[in-house]
Amino acid sequence: MNAGLTLVFDTSGPWIAAGLASNGRLLHAATETMARGQAERLIPLLEELLTATGTRWAELTAIGVGTGPGNFTGTRIAVATARGLSLALGIPAHPITAFEMALAPPTSLVLLEAPRGRAYAQRFADGRAAGPPEVVDPATLGPDAPPVRAAAPPSPAAMARLLHARLSAGAAPDRPAPLYIRPADAAPPSDPPPVILP
Amino acid sequence: MTDPLVLGVESSCDDTAAAVLRGRSILSSVVEGQSDLHAPYGGVVPEIAARAHAEKVDLCIEAALAGAGVTLAEIDAIAVTAGPGLIGGVLAGVMTAKALSAATGKPLIGVNHLAGHALTPRLTDDVAFPYLLLLVSGGHCQFLRVDGPDRFVRLGGTIDDAPGEAFDKTARLLALPQPGGPNVERAAASGDAARFVLPRPLLDRAGCDMSFSGLKTALLRARDTVIAGKGGITERDRSDLCAGFQAAVTDILAEKSRRALALCPGVTAFAVAGGVAANRRIRAALEEVAGTLPFVAPPLALCTDNAAMIAYAGAERLKLGQTDGLELPARPRWPLDDSAPALLGSGRKGAKA
Repeated sequence: MNAGLTLVFDTSGPWIAAGLASNGRLLHAATETMARGQAERLIPLLEELLTATGTRWAELTAIGVGTGPGNFTGTRIAVATARGLSLALGIPAHPITAFEMALAPPTSLVLLEAPRGRAYAQRFADGRAAGPPEVVDPATLGPDAPPVRAAAPPSPAAMARLLHARLSAGAAPDRPAPLYIRPADAAPPSDPPPVILP
Repeated sequence: MTDPLVLGVESSCDDTAAAVLRGRSILSSVVEGQSDLHAPYGGVVPEIAARAHAEKVDLCIEAALAGAGVTLAEIDAIAVTAGPGLIGGVLAGVMTAKALSAATGKPLIGVNHLAGHALTPRLTDDVAFPYLLLLVSGGHCQFLRVDGPDRFVRLGGTIDDAPGEAFDKTARLLALPQPGGPNVERAAASGDAARFVLPRPLLDRAGCDMSFSGLKTALLRARDTVIAGKGGITERDRSDLCAGFQAAVTDILAEKSRRALALCPGVTAFAVAGGVAANRRIRAALEEVAGTLPFVAPPLALCTDNAAMIAYAGAERLKLGQTDGLELPARPRWPLDDSAPALLGSGRKGAKA
């Protein structure tokens, strides 16, 4: 019997990266790049991982889901799936941010590619977030800043290890939510309402 | 044999909803609105709606299961709105439903949101096929002859805006709060509909197609004429403008309903669905058009977006043996009647209606 079977997946960019692990050790993984169609492909792909390892959904003990920052719609696809699986299986779903996946000690600042030449930035200390994530202009960061990491599929093995560490520490997660950082593009209507006369 | 226990999920616009239904009996129906989130922007912002849905769908499902006093294991099938609608929201519902289906092995049923509205008269009043339905909401306006759970003939519809959208726009133009429907109706109650004569677009043309865009522009002009005279509008002006607008929408819907009814002899009833059907003036006019034919207007909670109608439409599909695989796509556009020529939208994204 497989103890501590966990499923991790990420669709925060033009890809699906997924893995099935036992006690943090990857049993099977798949990464497919795609510009569209993640919503159609994600669950069949997860079922393929289960089938390949002879695992039933009910045997899973935890889920790790990539919460970005990244493509808004892509991140929601994974998060909604993880929350649904968590509800149906009665197991926790842990958020794993793209910063956590990209963190490579001893570097403390993680910079991820963002739209319009910006970068998503977050500082870490001892492997833990040391401040909130934000959007920065990489040109203003000075010569000591690490390079901005281009968007790329995360390693399912790394996700599985992060999840295992989280589980070993006994963390009880909040329900995962996408890490947007940027607010929704929305502006109040430009035409002012009329003056209401007495 | 008892009817299956069906979980319905809806997230295609600005309401997140889940419901549990057995046969025609609604065991629970949870609707979480987002009006407050969109209020500062004067309309539904798709990205804001998608963000809210993604973090609410599972909560609504839990609340619906608890409300019905059942567990997910007792559910026989999972029905979810798979379109048409704001794609970000539809995706949140579809992915959650697919996850539930995969993890539990229960059948998944993708439901057309419009079919949910169109079949509501059967859920509420057990109306027999065929019947004529006027679907009139914030995003849709069309006449459908409903011949079966998956057989719809579109007789006509709006070629531009939906009346619900026009009510919202009218509210914005007249400094009334959103949602426009009830607020414009309230202001119109004390207004003089004859003071501002607004156009009834397309009434001079044969058929059941409608247009509401020009009506909005006419209302804006009438308002601006008043403002030009005195720098603003009074409550009286506002009530009169609302009354004039509501009268124009009522006349268009009533006359086109008359024509639609003439096109479908042998229907068992004339039914109305969608949020605009909540307007009492419009409802009364449509009832009059129905004449001796039974007129069916579901209660407000089942006229506006809800998941009970999705569960019901899913149950009807299930009865026909129609279920979907886990690759079920979410569709921003999905006309109910693929055979009718496109009224709205074309090109890469396909017809909108």
